[in-house]
Amino acid sequence: MTATDGGRLEIIGVRHHSPACAGLVRDRIAALRPAFVLVEGPSDINGRLAELRLGHTLPVAVFSYLRVEDGTHASWTPFCDHSPEWIALTDGHAAGADVRFIDLPAWHPAFADRTNRYADAELRYAEAVERLCREFAVDNADTLWDHLVETEPDGDLGERLAIYFEGVRGDATTTTADQAREAYMARWIRAALAEADGRPVLVVCGGFHRPALLAAADRPEAGWPDVPAPPEGAVGGSYLIPYSHRRLDAFEGYQSGLPSPGFYQRLWDDGAESAAAWLMDSVVARLRHRKQHVSTAHVIAATAQARGLAAVRGHRHPARTDVLDALVSTLVAEGLEERLPWTVRDPQLAGAHPVVAEMVAASTGDRTGRLAPGTPQPPLPAAVDAELTALGLDGAGAVALDLTAEADRLRSRVLHGLRVLRVPGFDRASGPRSGRDPVSREEWRLTPSDLRLSALIEAAAFGASLVDAAEHALAERVVEAGRDVAALANVLFDAVLCGIGAVAGRLGPLIAAAVADTGDVPALGAALASVLGLWRHDRLLGAAGDPAMAMVVDAAARRLLWLLEGIRGGPQPADPGRLAAVVALRDAVRHAAEVLTIDRADTVAMAGRIGPDVPPDLRGAAAGLRWSLGEPAELEVPWAPKIVGDWLAGLFALAREEVLTTPSLVASLDDLIGELTDADFLVALPALRQAFEFFPPRERARFAELLLERRGRTGDGRALLRTTVDPLLLAEAAALERAVDEIITREGLLP
Amino acid sequence: MTTTEHLQRPPAETRFADELARLRAADTAPRPPGWALSLDAARRFVVGDPAAGVSRKFVGDPSLVDRALVTLATSRGLMLVGEPGTAKSLLSELIAAAVSGDSTLTIQGGAATTEDQIKYSWNYALLVSEGPSTRSLVPAPMLRGMAAGAVVRFEEITRCPLEVQDSLLSLLSERVVAIPELPGPDGMVFAREGFNVIATANTRDRGVNEMSTALKRRFNFETVFPIADHATELALVETEAGRLLERSGVEVPQRRDVLDVLVTAFRELREGVGGDRLSTVMSTAEAVTVAHAVGLRGWYLRREPGTAADVVTCLAGTAAKDNAEDLQRLRRYLEQRAARRHGEQWVELHNARHLLPG
Repeated sequence: MTATDGGRLEIIGVRHHSPACAGLVRDRIAALRPAFVLVEGPSDINGRLAELRLGHTLPVAVFSYLRVEDGTHASWTPFCDHSPEWIALTDGHAAGADVRFIDLPAWHPAFADRTNRYADAELRYAEAVERLCREFAVDNADTLWDHLVETEPDGDLGERLAIYFEGVRGDATTTTADQAREAYMARWIRAALAEADGRPVLVVCGGFHRPALLAAADRPEAGWPDVPAPPEGAVGGSYLIPYSHRRLDAFEGYQSGLPSPGFYQRLWDDGAESAAAWLMDSVVARLRHRKQHVSTAHVIAATAQARGLAAVRGHRHPARTDVLDALVSTLVAEGLEERLPWTVRDPQLAGAHPVVAEMVAASTGDRTGRLAPGTPQPPLPAAVDAELTALGLDGAGAVALDLTAEADRLRSRVLHGLRVLRVPGFDRASGPRSGRDPVSREEWRLTPSDLRLSALIEAAAFGASLVDAAEHALAERVVEAGRDVAALANVLFDAVLCGIGAVAGRLGPLIAAAVADTGDVPALGAALASVLGLWRHDRLLGAAGDPAMAMVVDAAARRLLWLLEGIRGGPQPADPGRLAAVVALRDAVRHAAEVLTIDRADTVAMAGRIGPDVPPDLRGAAAGLRWSLGEPAELEVPWAPKIVGDWLAGLFALAREEVLTTPSLVASLDDLIGELTDADFLVALPALRQAFEFFPPRERARFAELLLERRGRTGDGRALLRTTVDPLLLAEAAALERAVDEIITREGLLP
Repeated sequence: MTTTEHLQRPPAETRFADELARLRAADTAPRPPGWALSLDAARRFVVGDPAAGVSRKFVGDPSLVDRALVTLATSRGLMLVGEPGTAKSLLSELIAAAVSGDSTLTIQGGAATTEDQIKYSWNYALLVSEGPSTRSLVPAPMLRGMAAGAVVRFEEITRCPLEVQDSLLSLLSERVVAIPELPGPDGMVFAREGFNVIATANTRDRGVNEMSTALKRRFNFETVFPIADHATELALVETEAGRLLERSGVEVPQRRDVLDVLVTAFRELREGVGGDRLSTVMSTAEAVTVAHAVGLRGWYLRREPGTAADVVTCLAGTAAKDNAEDLQRLRRYLEQRAARRHGEQWVELHNARHLLPG
């Protein structure tokens, strides 16, 4: 704790949401009785700090947004019981200090790439943190923090924090965004020093900024800085919203901050020893609830292991990862597929071992915040009410919409937005279900409910307007969907229905990234076909030509190109889903070339590499793919009766038109089928029938005509196809006839 | 003991004798009963302590080492599982050297492993002439470890027949081996403090699924992962391959950009870029082998450092072996992934794709 200028200024550099730092802030406020408590936080809400003290149940957050022409920037400033900033606000006020936020507003360009104000700045400078981790031989920044700070919250914590953050900051070259914020915060500090007139000034800020602030706040300077005004024409605001442990833990990458808020809540409430016991108990309870076998012997072993780990790591009580490490050592009696989430930051829980996933979920906690009565309402409920009234949707009962009409389309979008936000009382009875559903009418049922308001207040955490909130809610669903392509396609379609296709700047890259990681060929094919359809043709919902859609089309096509080349296998029935995926890839290459990063040549080359150890339908499809992309037909039809049908299914799926316009091929098919023995024909028949299903009736008739022409007859091809008997019955009859023939021949009864 | 300079690879306690001695001398923390070092000193021996001049010997997560050591201090055995080539054996050797000062009490598991090789057998000449006695008894590593209170390593335990694996059951829970042939107190060998077992199993072989639940319960499982960090792996490959090349008389250093391409390719083929992994092991150890081969080709064929084209040739030989499917996966990787990468070496790698056989 360095003090300058006669002991008046004290800057506590904290890690956001750290209980140890919160405790330190509390102690220092009690000891110093400062005149000013300056806190890293949005200075534009300084006039409304009283709202924060209305007696909310934490976690809550200040949600800030700014809508400009090309989109909305949203950011959250979350607080929980153990946030040092929260303690500074509340304890500082209680101690009679003048409390102020001193950082730039959330909409400021300095926050352009941030959605969480209290992300750990130091983690953007990974090198310094990595160096420290190596020095202390710990896995990552979080374990390092636990080791250095949370397990030893007493004694000279202030000094240790200062050393830690000076070490982290080192001589790192900071970004201009950080420099702008630090310069601004320093002006507030200098103004406070001038005003304080010798009384103490306490500053609570992210530890990474402390060295710079200490250097810049070198003298008093009268006059509080102005709060920057938002750009001309932009609409913005900040308001309080309820928050939750789950959402606190859900930020990605360096923005995620201190993990496991549930655990630290316990640590703050009841101390380290009881937090460790709580984590152990709740993991065991969750596992038992899921019918996983956890015996008393397991619990004893885990407890001993946790104590042992704490001892070897020099912790008085087991820290968060001591408990988690102990549990995984003793409860998981098999090899793991994925690294332990707490050993890597930014974990993908999707592939985690179920026991490990329960552990992480338990440590995340399940607390949800509540705003105190009388808190000014966020703008979303009023915005939604106004919109509903304006569109005449504020009533009850059935609403029928014609999506081809502009006004109804607007109504539909609003209703879908509310549906996506899970606001009760807006239920769709019918309407288009996917991008390929040719339905232009929708029916809704509106049921006003008391639950609407509370649901809207909760949904306000996602945004200030319906469109923004729906977009953020959908973005969260993308993360939940993981690698499930069907779910991802649903999210995208929902975005289209909500009318946020064109502004889904966030959704496109998110979905594209998820698609690029999937392995389900049929689902990916279906999704590509649907998205490609929307991108090419959808004038109804306005998705045609949408750049976000284009991004998904490209990611899906590229992924399919990769996956299709990897399929291996022997003879097996044709897989229609797989063939549809090849068709979707071909269509994308044909019709969306301008947005693809793969081209026709890549696709043709891939098809050329499909070798003999690939299922016959895919080999046929590869031949069809090349042909339909304009390569000369090099057809080596495999005539083995067991595979010919499946091979042809692949060919026909891709190159129907080419086949029909090549009489020579039809002729050779005719010849070769004619040459099959009866037995072989019966073997090949089911797959052949499936293959010809790819031709719609009219084309099948054309095929029949070609066959008739070949035999020198004229006539209606359709008549040839119109059998009065089920073909299966015919096949059975043929088989029976053959069996009888065989018996007659065998017994020598034939003349 | 032979002098170490003639050994191809002396055991860890000999290779790092100096570090162990220094750690022991400065070690004031309490030691678990029967241990040669305290937990803290043993940890620093493995993960390194630059301040004390102790090198970092294992590049995986330090928390894994903590968990492993604490497990050994309890009554459960330690089971290290993971892909081949993830340094499981090295880790077990280092830990045994730190904990007991001896990493040579090792059983190599295999289909032909019998109980004799685990517990004890007899010197039959003596047995015939003298009858069963402590003189005619030939103790196997497990019995020696129990008697001496030392850590015993059981490599590739899952390759052993199940009944042989299960012979460990009573030994691990009762901590005693009965030798019914010997009369009197010699007939029971009780484990001294400090005895425990480190087993390793690789997930590519039969795996741990076939292990009996009873035996699984007596072990804590720790999964050893491939090196998480690209830079660390690259540095390791560079040093190790450099050392091998020096020994092979190659006089030029490897090009770092070539090694970077090699390590990236290994990592991506190992991760499987979306669930389609090579059936061949693509571990760091294999990467070192390939890097070595690349260096040898470059030097002895052309008197220059190895190129990306050499990487393709060596990948085909060393990594894809004679597996046609792996070869196709490799081809797909070179065709589709390498083509999208920028940089001189990636272009060369892509252009050299025709060097793949077939």
